[in-house]
Amino acid sequence: MSLLSVTLASLSFGTIDLNAFTGLMDWFAESDSREALIVGEIRLPRTLLALIVGAAMGLSGAALQGLFRNPLVDPGLIGTSQGAALGAALVFYFNLFSSLGALATPVAGLIGAAITLFLLMGLSGSMARPAIIIMAGLAISSLASALLAVVLNFAPNPYAMQELVFWMLGSVSNRGLDNLAILLPAFVLGSVVIYRQRRLLLGLSLGDQVADSMGLEVVKRGRYIVLGTALLVGSSVAIAGNIGFVGLVIPHLIRPLVKYRPDRLLVPSALAGATVVCLADILVRLLPPERELKLGVLTALVGAPFFVWLIWKERQRWI
Amino acid sequence: MDLMSIQNFSVDQRVSDVSLTLQQGEVLGLIGPNGAGKSTLLNAIAGLLDSSGEIELSGQNINQLSRAERARKVALQPQFVESVWALSVHDIVSMGRLPWGDSDQKIIQRVMQQANIQGFAQRHVNELSGGERARVWLARVLANQPRVLLVDEPVANLDIHYQQEVMQILVDYANEGHTVIIAIHDLSLAARYCDRLCLLHQGKQIKTGKVEAVLKSQVLSPVFNVDVYVDLQNSPPVVLAQ
Repeated sequence: MSLLSVTLASLSFGTIDLNAFTGLMDWFAESDSREALIVGEIRLPRTLLALIVGAAMGLSGAALQGLFRNPLVDPGLIGTSQGAALGAALVFYFNLFSSLGALATPVAGLIGAAITLFLLMGLSGSMARPAIIIMAGLAISSLASALLAVVLNFAPNPYAMQELVFWMLGSVSNRGLDNLAILLPAFVLGSVVIYRQRRLLLGLSLGDQVADSMGLEVVKRGRYIVLGTALLVGSSVAIAGNIGFVGLVIPHLIRPLVKYRPDRLLVPSALAGATVVCLADILVRLLPPERELKLGVLTALVGAPFFVWLIWKERQRWI
Repeated sequence: MDLMSIQNFSVDQRVSDVSLTLQQGEVLGLIGPNGAGKSTLLNAIAGLLDSSGEIELSGQNINQLSRAERARKVALQPQFVESVWALSVHDIVSMGRLPWGDSDQKIIQRVMQQANIQGFAQRHVNELSGGERARVWLARVLANQPRVLLVDEPVANLDIHYQQEVMQILVDYANEGHTVIIAIHDLSLAARYCDRLCLLHQGKQIKTGKVEAVLKSQVLSPVFNVDVYVDLQNSPPVVLAQ
């Protein structure tokens, strides 16, 4: 319900006042009224991208927190988003995978995200204590950021560098509907892959020894979750840049509502992530338009203090 | 026919050449000093470690079973379990049904009653005392209804009241026609509740048999490297270091 109203609001709010419903109807009727153009060509892609990216981030946060049994895991905090950004940036500069056309960036993002996640699993080990995972994530995140800095350092010209920096800050504006052709399949596939492993996430609540003894094949199925997350994060980051902290905050807020069950956390986290990112994007549009505040900057401004609060609250557990 | 037969079972250097046969209704105690290989043996029987040798379950080679089938027939309660999330007691017990892919409320309610935890079914497991929690973990494996139940040190860290209660739950489960293998340090409890014992030392099977045959001072003393006092005539039996 809230998802629908936020979507409608997102189509309605903007610098120009208009009736979103008429606009949408006109656009479907292929009329070229002003409403149809603004709603169909500008606000609709923006809204849909915000919804999908938000859902992808909420879902991947919930999945990774369950897999690593750690409430402090977020794609942006353990280097997954940086890995995806690095992959996508390399494509910008070196024209890798040019045969893939528009798919090149998301594919590179996916590969970058998957590599960082597998590195994290290898570095922290299967029986890792929560603190080790965060430290390993920090190390990998630093590594990816350093490589990203190298890419920025050797930017062919200042404009290329500026473009890359703005993209990394995270935004869903000025992106066409064609992006959906890539984002939507990646999102659906990644979500299905993760959702099918929900029993593993529940079993892992009692540790991997118990999960393994229940025949849940932790290593094999864990890899599916990693791949599903890489699909979600890789495609989202490649298209919208880094929309951070959604994956950290959303599952944390939803968890008490689903009685802390990691398997039941997945779908509500996706829905809430979609709602929140779309709302945040509306907020960004309502701010003065001269110098737009990037969506990723806004989520970080809200999310980072939340992270600090979470550490404060949970620190007893780390000692 | 034996319910489970383990032949020439080895786990790299940690357990070598163990052979056991288990009957329905039997409680087998694995005893031995720290590092003897008790936990390793249990984990390997549960299929968590690579091993050599053969395990047959009702005459069928266990390697022919899928992971899920094996998990439905053989369940493990490890020594250390902790719930990362503040799950309710009922949800934890329901997890015992994961290998079956159902949530059979009749079984779940019955095992909660057996473990005497139905009074706090909706509480968060992290709020419970150690003794209450031990019974919740136990109810979780009982809900799986395995033919063979493997339990690693179920009474370590429990007071004498809960020790008795937990051991009795395990004996009752065996009496329903299942087999229970318990790794246990407390030799007096082993004497009281187990039907047979298997003494392990440095990964080797030193002696296996009836309680009276294994719990002898001359058998235990060299293995534990301490003089052991044994009085099996006493009620309850007493086995202590002198």
